[in-house]
Amino acid sequence: MNIARKRTSVMNRQKRAAFWFLLPSMSILALFVFWPIADLFWLSFHRWSLLDANHAYAGLANYVKLVHDERFWNAVVRTVYFTAGSVPVGIVLSLALALLANEPLKGMSAFKAIYFLPVISSFAIISIIWSFLLDPDIGLLSYWLKAAGFPASAWLRSTTWAMPAVIAVAIWKNVGFNMVILLAGLQSISASLYEAAKIDGAGALQRFWSVTLPALRQTLLFVVIISVIASFQVFDQVYVMTRGGPLNSTETVVYYIYHHGFELLDMGYASAIAWVLFVVVFLITLLQLRLFRFNETD
Amino acid sequence: MKTSAKRWATTTVTLLAASALASACGGGKPAAPAQTAGQDSAKQSAAQEQSGGKQDSSGKAVTLTFWNGFTGPDRPGYENLVKQFNDTHPNMKVTIDISPWDSLLAKLPTSLATGQGPDLAAFDSSLITKYAKSNLILPLDDLYSNGVDQNVLPKSLVSAMKYNNKFYAVPANNATLLLYYNKDLFKAAGLDPNKPPSTWDEWMDAIRKTTKTNGSDKQYGIALADHATIPMWPILVWGNGGNFVSDDNKSSRMTDPKTQEAIKTWSDLVIAGGVSPTNLTGAEADKLFQSGKAAMEMNGPWATGGYTQAGLNYDVAPIPAGPAGKVTLASTVALVAGKNTKNKDAVYEFMKFWVSKDAQAQLSGQTGFPPVRTDLGDDPKLKQNPFVPKFADVANDAKYYLPGLEQYDKIDSDVIVPAIQAITNKKASVDAALKDADKKLNDILQGKN
Repeated sequence: MNIARKRTSVMNRQKRAAFWFLLPSMSILALFVFWPIADLFWLSFHRWSLLDANHAYAGLANYVKLVHDERFWNAVVRTVYFTAGSVPVGIVLSLALALLANEPLKGMSAFKAIYFLPVISSFAIISIIWSFLLDPDIGLLSYWLKAAGFPASAWLRSTTWAMPAVIAVAIWKNVGFNMVILLAGLQSISASLYEAAKIDGAGALQRFWSVTLPALRQTLLFVVIISVIASFQVFDQVYVMTRGGPLNSTETVVYYIYHHGFELLDMGYASAIAWVLFVVVFLITLLQLRLFRFNETD
Repeated sequence: MKTSAKRWATTTVTLLAASALASACGGGKPAAPAQTAGQDSAKQSAAQEQSGGKQDSSGKAVTLTFWNGFTGPDRPGYENLVKQFNDTHPNMKVTIDISPWDSLLAKLPTSLATGQGPDLAAFDSSLITKYAKSNLILPLDDLYSNGVDQNVLPKSLVSAMKYNNKFYAVPANNATLLLYYNKDLFKAAGLDPNKPPSTWDEWMDAIRKTTKTNGSDKQYGIALADHATIPMWPILVWGNGGNFVSDDNKSSRMTDPKTQEAIKTWSDLVIAGGVSPTNLTGAEADKLFQSGKAAMEMNGPWATGGYTQAGLNYDVAPIPAGPAGKVTLASTVALVAGKNTKNKDAVYEFMKFWVSKDAQAQLSGQTGFPPVRTDLGDDPKLKQNPFVPKFADVANDAKYYLPGLEQYDKIDSDVIVPAIQAITNKKASVDAALKDADKKLNDILQGKN
């Protein structure tokens, strides 16, 4: 009895401490994340034009409109295309770079810096530079590609090639960030595991499959989840490089939200799209946690 | 490992600092040329005497904010005008805030609706309907009855400044579009550089002759932008007697035979003839023309400064007359008063100054825009700039694009641009694309969407 009471009081004290430790960051999150999400939900049930002081309740009208909106579904397809194109390739590439960077070779710090540089550069500036490089008439890169025998393409002005070009730039930009996280994961794998595997006669490939990958699972999960979430929310790059064009071929969901919210000033409809995106991202994240068996330890 | 990590961190930070520095330099705006400052000092001091009597007795300057998107080569013209206003009105200070039009138009309504925003703003006159209807800008009838004489403005400008028969703006500039053509490329194609095309037949012939679709030196007859641009396709539609919306703004004319025929004719030329790249923005079209990769372009007076400075051998001519006669685009930036201004008198003072004879003569002379007044005929400053009369001459043939429509930007970005792109990208036939656009446009016009 006495012991039990003591335990509860310790737990209470811990809870209180946890509360105070969490309070600062939770209040920031509540004010700038949770509250806007709730507010958005409310907005999405109204006709809410920024230009109109009268915000009539619209029920499910915005959501019904969304279901019948071809351009919204196009944006969904384009976003999935972007994600499917950029995430797997990006992660394989960054894992390869991380493995390379993990080797004690000369000049490795410069190598890492080179790959990390795009990560810390502004996306707007990067996008402008790539747009110049890819310009079909005066772009250096499109000139080289043509000289190397690639069929001439209008790149960002082509409905077929604009998205692959955008994806390539996204991979180039993000690969360094994932590399650093994976590198940290690699360095935390105990060398004794590799020694044991070697003694058991495992080759390099086998060591990678049986030691590195399983040990990296948590890190990989993290990288996959944040990459997918970031891809579903891709915006600045599309905004600067293509404006969603040509003919909506690079128009992603977030760009479409921007188009309705800040170009047509229809906040109600934009909020409805944003909420659908939120739910989709949430579900996909749950699914990924499940697929990677996050809480199991094998 | 630790030391190498540290070294890596140092390298990264150094590079980060370098790139931040580089971007900071790149973002800095170029200093406005002070070329006109000297020659106008006499006039300025005269103006100063005039306004001297109005100086606030407390000596405290009234500050006005002015948001606009004059980012083009004509930017120094507007900056100089503001500077001149500040120099001649010691009791007032206008701070000019220039950002690209699209980001300006994203932040302006929000800030005005929430009780903030600038005292003065400028945007395309087509947007007046939207802003006036939502009471985000102030009606200016009292300014026109006392200070600004509407009889000195061109007639088309007067109606462009109104919503519901009330004035809501003064014209900040007045533009028409002309055909820019590269004289060297004309010569090389065996065309007379002093005899620009004057009919559609001659025009199409010149476009075909200056187009080179194969070989290493690819060249386009015309740079025809279809989005994020000053409207170009509408001029082609009008030239054939077509239009997008009926004159009473109540129904779509997308499937009108004349509209359809115009779009068919020109999209065929683009698709089969390869005379212009597709999916061009206005900025990309300008780049093509400026780099000599396109022989012709339809553009407004703001482009003259940049092309002349680039050393291009070019001239301008009226847009060749189509089957329905001569027509071109009129485009006016409106100067409006934000509803939350606390200094209406100062705002009016600035507007009066902006449309005054002196200010307009100077703006026209510097930028090539026709003045917003009709009574400047023989001002010597206008004569300095040979482009001014050329752009002014076509004013009577000039039409506004989608005037008086509250949903102007939605109709343009969600109906007309996608229809034209679907056709030129061969994603839909002319028939199908225009039928689809017709339905969407009617829905918007009837308030269904």
